[in-house]
Amino acid sequence: MRKRFGMGASIVVLALFVALSITTFGCGTKVQKPKDFYKIGAVLSTSGPAAPLGQPEQRSLALLEEKINSEGGIDGVKVKFIIEDDESDPAKATVAINKLIKQENVVAVIGSSTTGATLAMVPVTSKEMVTLICCAAGTKITDPVNEWVFRTPPTDSMAIAKVISYLEDVLEVSKIAILHDANAFGTGGADELQAKAPDHDIEVVAREQYGSTDTDMTAQLTKIQQTPAQAVVVWGTNPGPASIAKNMQQLGMTIPYIGSHGIANKKFIELGGSAADGVAFPAGKLLFPSSIATGSDWRNAVDEFSAAYKEKYEMDIDTFAAHGWDAGLIITDALKRSGNDPIKLRDEIEKTKDFVAVDGIYTYSPTDHDGLNVDDLLMIKIANGAWTEVK
Amino acid sequence: MARRKGIVETHSYRTFLIVAAFIFILPIWARPIPGEALHMDIVNLMVLTGIYACAVLGLNLLLGYAGQISLGHAAFFGIGAYTTAILCTRFTWFPTWLGVILGASLAGAIGWLVGKPVLRLKGNYLAMATLGLGEIAFILFSQLKGLTGGTVGMLNIPPLSIFGLKFDTDIKFYYLVWAIVLVIMLLTINLVLSRVGRGLRALHSSEVAADAMGVNTGSYRVKVFVWSAVLAGLGGALFAHFQLYINPESFTFALSILFVTMVVVGGMGDIWGGLVGVVALTFLPSIIQVFPEWIPGIPESLTNFSNYALVLYGLLLIIFMIFLPKGLSYGMERGVAAGRRSAKLLLDRIRAHD
Amino acid sequence: MIYGSATVFTLLLVVTLSIKGSTGLQWIVSGLTVGSIYALVAMGFSVIYSSTRVINFAQGEFSMLGGMLMYTFASKAGVPVPLAFILSVIIVTLLGAGFERLAVHPLRYSSVITVIIVTIGFSIFLRAVAKWIWGSDPVKIASFSGDKPIRFLGAALVPQSFWVFGFTALAVLLVFLFFNRTIVGKGMTAAAANPDAASLVGISTSTSSLIAWTIAAALGAAAGIIIAPIKFAAYSVGTMLGLKGFAAAILGGLGSAPGAVVGGLILGVLETIAAGVFPSGYKDAVAFLILILVLLAWPQGLLGRRQDVMA
Repeated sequence: MRKRFGMGASIVVLALFVALSITTFGCGTKVQKPKDFYKIGAVLSTSGPAAPLGQPEQRSLALLEEKINSEGGIDGVKVKFIIEDDESDPAKATVAINKLIKQENVVAVIGSSTTGATLAMVPVTSKEMVTLICCAAGTKITDPVNEWVFRTPPTDSMAIAKVISYLEDVLEVSKIAILHDANAFGTGGADELQAKAPDHDIEVVAREQYGSTDTDMTAQLTKIQQTPAQAVVVWGTNPGPASIAKNMQQLGMTIPYIGSHGIANKKFIELGGSAADGVAFPAGKLLFPSSIATGSDWRNAVDEFSAAYKEKYEMDIDTFAAHGWDAGLIITDALKRSGNDPIKLRDEIEKTKDFVAVDGIYTYSPTDHDGLNVDDLLMIKIANGAWTEVK
Repeated sequence: MARRKGIVETHSYRTFLIVAAFIFILPIWARPIPGEALHMDIVNLMVLTGIYACAVLGLNLLLGYAGQISLGHAAFFGIGAYTTAILCTRFTWFPTWLGVILGASLAGAIGWLVGKPVLRLKGNYLAMATLGLGEIAFILFSQLKGLTGGTVGMLNIPPLSIFGLKFDTDIKFYYLVWAIVLVIMLLTINLVLSRVGRGLRALHSSEVAADAMGVNTGSYRVKVFVWSAVLAGLGGALFAHFQLYINPESFTFALSILFVTMVVVGGMGDIWGGLVGVVALTFLPSIIQVFPEWIPGIPESLTNFSNYALVLYGLLLIIFMIFLPKGLSYGMERGVAAGRRSAKLLLDRIRAHD
Repeated sequence: MIYGSATVFTLLLVVTLSIKGSTGLQWIVSGLTVGSIYALVAMGFSVIYSSTRVINFAQGEFSMLGGMLMYTFASKAGVPVPLAFILSVIIVTLLGAGFERLAVHPLRYSSVITVIIVTIGFSIFLRAVAKWIWGSDPVKIASFSGDKPIRFLGAALVPQSFWVFGFTALAVLLVFLFFNRTIVGKGMTAAAANPDAASLVGISTSTSSLIAWTIAAALGAAAGIIIAPIKFAAYSVGTMLGLKGFAAAILGGLGSAPGAVVGGLILGVLETIAAGVFPSGYKDAVAFLILILVLLAWPQGLLGRRQDVMA
C-alpha cells in the first residue's frame, strides 16, 4: 500500500517539475550595485596540462593589479582581478565563468589559456553579454568575429605566415613535412599550414602526428625520411618538440627543423641540448627586445614590464605573461572610458586603437578582434644554445 | 543472499520524495545573488551534477549490482554528446530532443555491440578492455575531423528545445535535467526492488548461485551494460546541449575514472550512493576553493598556489575511503540511524519525565 | 598459449623487417626501448597485484617522483649520480611503504575497489604535490653515458636505451627469483591465494602487502630514474606511464613479472609499428584495438595464470 502511495506522490512531484520548467524562470536583470572597486574576472589554466600558460598569465594579472592600485587605481577606483582555475578543462571553464559573471558580477572576463577552454566559454559570454578577452591562439575563436570575444596573443595564422615566408624566402624549399602534436594547438597549426602552403608553391609531402606524452617519435621521422621533404615543420609545445630534435639527431636527419611559437622559451634549449641547435621558430618580438627600436613606446613598455616582472617574481617574462598583462591593460584602459558598464566596456574595447602594450600594438575594430598583425612577430634561430634573430 | 536491507532501501520512495522536494526548492533558496559570500553558482553546478548523475546512476548499477567494472564510460558519454552535436549542427532543422534520444540510443547500440564480446571478460581484464575502448573512442573523436571537428571540437550547438520550448537558461535546464535524473532514479528503485534486481545482486555475490537460481548471468550482464551505456549517452547528449560546445578533452580517461570514483565514494550498490557521490565530487572542488575564506588566519602561502586544491582533493579522497570504505551514503545512513536512536532515547526520557 | 603468442609476435617482427628493412629495424629497436619503459612500470603493477589483488593507480607516480627527485639531487644539488639514484629510490620507497601502512593497511577488510580508489586519490595527491615542488615544466636529466647514437644495420639507438634494457632484464630476474625462489616471496604469492594457509608459513597478508608495496615503489622509482634521460621528467608523466604500464601488465598476464616484460615489449613495438604503418594519429587506437583482441583470444593474458578470468 505504502509503495503505491509513494509512486503516486512521486509522479505528482515529477509533474510539478515539468510544469515549473515550462514557466519561464530566473534570467533576472543584472543589478548594478555601486562598487568600491572594479571587479575583473579571469579564468586561467593554472593547473593541468596548460599550467605553463596559465601560471605566467596569473602572475601578470597580480602584478598589474598591484601596479594600478599603487598608482591610485582607475580615476581613483581600485581594481580587483578575481582569478579562477579551469584546470585546463573546458567543462570547468564554463563553471568558472558562470560563477564569475553571476556570483561575482565581474565587468569583463580574461581567459582562458587554451583554445578549447576559451571556445567553451564563448557561448556563456554571448548569453550573459560580458566581454571576454582570451589568451589563446586558436584561429576559430575570432573567426568569424564574435561580438563579445577579443584576444591578445598573435594568432596561429600569423605565426604560420611567418613560418611560410621563412620557408619561402630564407630556406627556399618547395617540399615540406609536418609533424604535429595531436592536441588542439598542434592540429590547428598544421591545418593552417596545410591550407596556406599551396598558395606559396610549397607542397606538404607528409603530415604525421604524435601524442603530447609520447616518448619516441622515430617511427614518424623514418616515414618523413622516406619522402622528398626538404624541411620539417614541428608544431607542438614542450617536451614533444625537444624529443623530436633528439630523435632527429639520433637518426642522423639533417634537414632544417622549423618549430612553432610553442618552443619560444629557454626550456626548449635546455631539454634539446645540442640537438636544439639550428632550430628556427616564430616568436613575439617582445621575447627579443633588441628587435624593437630602442626608445620606441613599445620597447619601453616591454622593458618596463620585464623589469617589474623580474623584480616581483625573479623570473624572466615569457610570451604568456605578456598575453595576460596585455589583456589586463586593454580592459583597464577601456574601463577609464566606460565605467562599470559591461556593454559600454565592450564598445570601448572595440574602439581600442594604436594601443601600445607588450605583445605589440593593438588596434581592434568591428571586423578585427585580433588586434595584432604579422609584423609583431619575428623568426628566431638557435645557434650554439642561444637565440639569434633571422633578418 | 545475505545482504543488509538498509534503511535507505526500505524507505526508498520516502527518501525519493524528500530528495525530489529538496531539488525542487533548491534554486529558489539558492538563486545567484551578486556579491554574496557563497562563492558558487549552485544552479549551474547542479546542472553539471545532474548531467554526470545520469552516467553515474547507470554505472552504479553495473558496478554495484552486477559487479562489472568499466573504465571506459566516458566513451559512451562522448558518443551521446557527439551524436546530437553532429546531427543538430549539420542539419539546423533537426529537432534537438530527437538528437538527445538518438545520442542515448547510439551509445546503447555501441554498448551492446562491444559489450557482447567484451563482457565475457571479468574483473581487471574487463577493466582493461573498457579502458581500451575509451581510449579508442577518444582518438576517434580527435581524428575524425570531418565528422567531429577534430581537436578544435564542435561549436554553435543549439540549446535543447522540446516542442518549441527552449531550455536556454541554467534554471530551465536545471529542472529538465533533474526531472530526468529523478525518472531514472524511480526506474532504478523499481528495478532494484524487483526480481531483476535480486537477480543482479545474486550475480554480484555469487555467479554459481545466480546460475543455480535460474538467472541468466550472461544476458543480465549485457543488459545492465547496455542500460548504463544508454544513460551515459543521455548524460553526454544533455552535456552537449548545455555547454553548447564540445571537444574531445571533455571525454578522456580522467572522466571515466571520475565516474567510477563517484560511484565508490558515494556508496557502491546503494540506490542513493551514486547520487551522493556525484553531488559530493562535483561540489568538492568548488568547496575547496572557498574553504580558506572560511578559516580566518590561514597563511596565504598555503592557499595562493593554485594546486593546493588538487592536493586537498587527493587527500580528501583518501580520507573519505579510509573512514567510510562503504561510501558516503552508508555513512549518512548510519548517521541518520544514530540520530533516530538518540532522538528516540531523548523522547523516551522526556516521556519518562512526564 | 605462450608459444602461440610468441610465434605471432616473431612473425610480426620478421614481416616488418623483410618489408621495411632497416626502417623496420629502427621501428623495432625504438619500440623495444619504449616497451622496456612500459615493462618496468608494468612489473610494479604485477608485484602489488600478485600479493594483494589491488591495482595501484599511483604506480606511474612512483616513477615520476623517482625522476623528479633524481633531477633535484643530480642536476640541481650536484650529488654524484649513483648516490643520487640511491637517495631518490630510498625516499620513494619510504613513501610507498608509508602509504601502505597509513592508507592501504586500514582497508585490509574492505573491498578491493575501495583500495583502488584510494590509490587514485594518492596519485592525484602526488601529482599535485610534485607540481607544487617542481613546477610544471619538464626537466632534463643527463644521460648516464652520453648522447652519441649507436648505429647498426641502418638503425640508431641512444646509449641510454641499453641502460633501460639492462635494468629491465635485471629487474625481472630479481623479481622472478624473489617470488619463485625465496620463502618470503613464495609465501606472499600464497598469501594472496589463500591467506589462512599462508599464515601457517608465517606470512600474513598484512606483511605481504607491506613488502609488495615497498618493492613496487622501489622498482617504480628506479625505473623512473633510468628512463628520465630519454623521456624527460615532469610532474605529469606518471599518468601516461601508469596507463601504458597497466595495459602492458594485463597484456602479459597480471601478476607475472616475465609477463609484464613480454606485455610491455609487445605494446611498445606494436605502437611504433602502428605509427609507422598507419596514419600516426591512430597509433594508440591500433595498439589498444590489438590489445583488446588479444584479451579476447587469451583472456588471462599471455603469461598469466588461468583463474578468475572468464565469466
